[in-house]
Amino acid sequence: MKLNPMIALVVGVTLYAAVIAKAQDAGATRDQTALNSTLQTCATCHGINGKSVSPTFPNLAAQMPGYIEAQLKAFKDQSRSDPDAQAYMWGMAAPLNTSLIHAIAEYFSKQPGAAGKSGDSALIARGKHVFEEGVPALQIPACATCHGAHAEGMAIFPRLAGQHAPYLLKQLLVIQSALRNAPVMHGVVKDLTKEQIEAVVAYLESI
Amino acid sequence: MPKSLAVNLSRHPPLLLLLLLLWAVPASAVPSFARQTGMACAACHTVFPELTPFGREFKLNGYVLDNMNQIKGITMENRETLSLNSIPPLSMMVQISYTHTGSALPDSVVSGALAKDGEVLFPQQVSFFYAGKIADNLGAFVQLTYDGAEDHFGIDNTDIRYTKHFSFGGANDNDHSLLFGVTVNNNPTVQDVWNTTQAWGFPYSASSTAPTPISSAVLDSGAGGIGQTVAGAGLYAWFDDRLYAEISLYTAAIVGGAHPLDSTQHHVVHSASPYWRVAYEYRWDRNSVELGAYGMQVREYPGDGKPLQGASDQYTDTALDAQYQFIGENHLFTLLSTYIHEKQKLDASVADGFAFNTDNSLKTFKLTGEYTYRRTIGGSIGFFDITGGTDSLLYAQSAVVGSLANSPDSRGLIGEINYLPWLNTKLQLQYVRYTKFNGLSNDYDGAGRNASDNDALYLLAWVNF
Repeated sequence: MKLNPMIALVVGVTLYAAVIAKAQDAGATRDQTALNSTLQTCATCHGINGKSVSPTFPNLAAQMPGYIEAQLKAFKDQSRSDPDAQAYMWGMAAPLNTSLIHAIAEYFSKQPGAAGKSGDSALIARGKHVFEEGVPALQIPACATCHGAHAEGMAIFPRLAGQHAPYLLKQLLVIQSALRNAPVMHGVVKDLTKEQIEAVVAYLESI
Repeated sequence: MPKSLAVNLSRHPPLLLLLLLLWAVPASAVPSFARQTGMACAACHTVFPELTPFGREFKLNGYVLDNMNQIKGITMENRETLSLNSIPPLSMMVQISYTHTGSALPDSVVSGALAKDGEVLFPQQVSFFYAGKIADNLGAFVQLTYDGAEDHFGIDNTDIRYTKHFSFGGANDNDHSLLFGVTVNNNPTVQDVWNTTQAWGFPYSASSTAPTPISSAVLDSGAGGIGQTVAGAGLYAWFDDRLYAEISLYTAAIVGGAHPLDSTQHHVVHSASPYWRVAYEYRWDRNSVELGAYGMQVREYPGDGKPLQGASDQYTDTALDAQYQFIGENHLFTLLSTYIHEKQKLDASVADGFAFNTDNSLKTFKLTGEYTYRRTIGGSIGFFDITGGTDSLLYAQSAVVGSLANSPDSRGLIGEINYLPWLNTKLQLQYVRYTKFNGLSNDYDGAGRNASDNDALYLLAWVNF
């Protein structure tokens, strides 16, 4: 039987298109599978909705995607080296590629933010003052300038609202001591007293 | 190829083109993401070997978290056929110890003489581990141990797992998570992730030369008891990081001695002995609390010269356990407790003259509190209490190891002080104090030995690397 070349070509192209489409579908499915698998690992400590149980691990829900990306890259190249970064996140971030980092950041940034937790109202009031006014006597600018009027974050400056107070406390301490490499923040917070730090983190956890 | 179907492709360029196009399927996308670790000890452990919630998740997920480069293989359909660590996750541990008992033990041969009191074991134990991923979703914990006191090298705790994870529910289809796992292991409770059960329970290390009570429940007997004399397989489920359920079946798998197993062996478990475990864990802030129950029904032939046929002994253990953990920045605190009720039906032992009563029972209760400051210095105190029915043959009178009162009742405290100069090195001082040993406080063996004569001072250097 002689094969009609035109029919063969049409059938061939159709089959090829179907195979490519399936391969791309499979590719997209594989990408989604890789992301889902990665998110399950993140969720072990950070919660699948980005709200962690233990304050050792920060909430990621509604976090600035640019900030999450920058931190994951800093864990991956080990430029962020505070104790918990070394203990937990260097290993976690080592195998991530750029597209996964981007997808993780997108996912958590879209989760609804954690609700505020009530606390010592006097401490929270003092913290609100530090957050909104800074400490002019020590030339410390208001945190709100970069982190947003409601600590919702801005570009690469992270959201702080609803974050675990013990986590924020630890970050401010490791930034002050330069265990965590954050030159701009170090300049801003280096003169904050322990009492001021405790007040501002209590406020941030409450909003 | 049959001639009738042969096609000369060179005479049909479109067909050739079609075939070439079909072969040129583009490789795209990334193969499955391999979950990784490379995390410091503190991520998975409070003080080794006790597990944090994250450590429990790592174990339940099959030990597959891994940050090493993988040697990979995939099929033409992009199914993964190989994922091998380029550097195997091997490690070892060394334990060096010193034991001093309240009173020296009698010489084993010369009547009236005493053995040396105060003994160094160098090593007490050296172990080699493979702990980590074998293939996709398949991981293993394999331990080989050299025992210095017995001068014996052999298989120790081994747990091989395969897991599969499902997410469902809610807008993102991930509101709920369900993990299914298969475990193959050689010691009931080695697969457990709480530190209330015997394989990984307190005390995490103890003297291998000081006397120990005459009897312990099957689920409390570990190495030297049921551990490494059985092999089992089981299925478990872990729902929403909270609810655990498992059913496993064990049968005899004794290393060494006569094979096939015969009358020269001891405590040969026959048929499939079921082990079950349920647990509920709740986590909030830096706390976690677990409540659970577990049990096992073991049927075994005593052996010891009697054939492995006919009547058997049956041990039915039913147990409750509870654990509370607080993992703070500076202070870590753990409370562990278990209660095991064992019903014994000793038809074979009675027929063979090893026991007097066909029905007996043994109750075990443990309560332990642990504290550590910054995972560097801390201490623990544990209370234990074993009570059971008397039996003139099972708990016969005999110097040091027997019972004048024909009773297994033993009670006491274990206190520890730990210093960890590094996360992987533990220096320990342990003291075991018996208020009752094999039924009595004073002259428990009818030869003048008191319970307190078995009190043991135990110094340990334990290094992992």
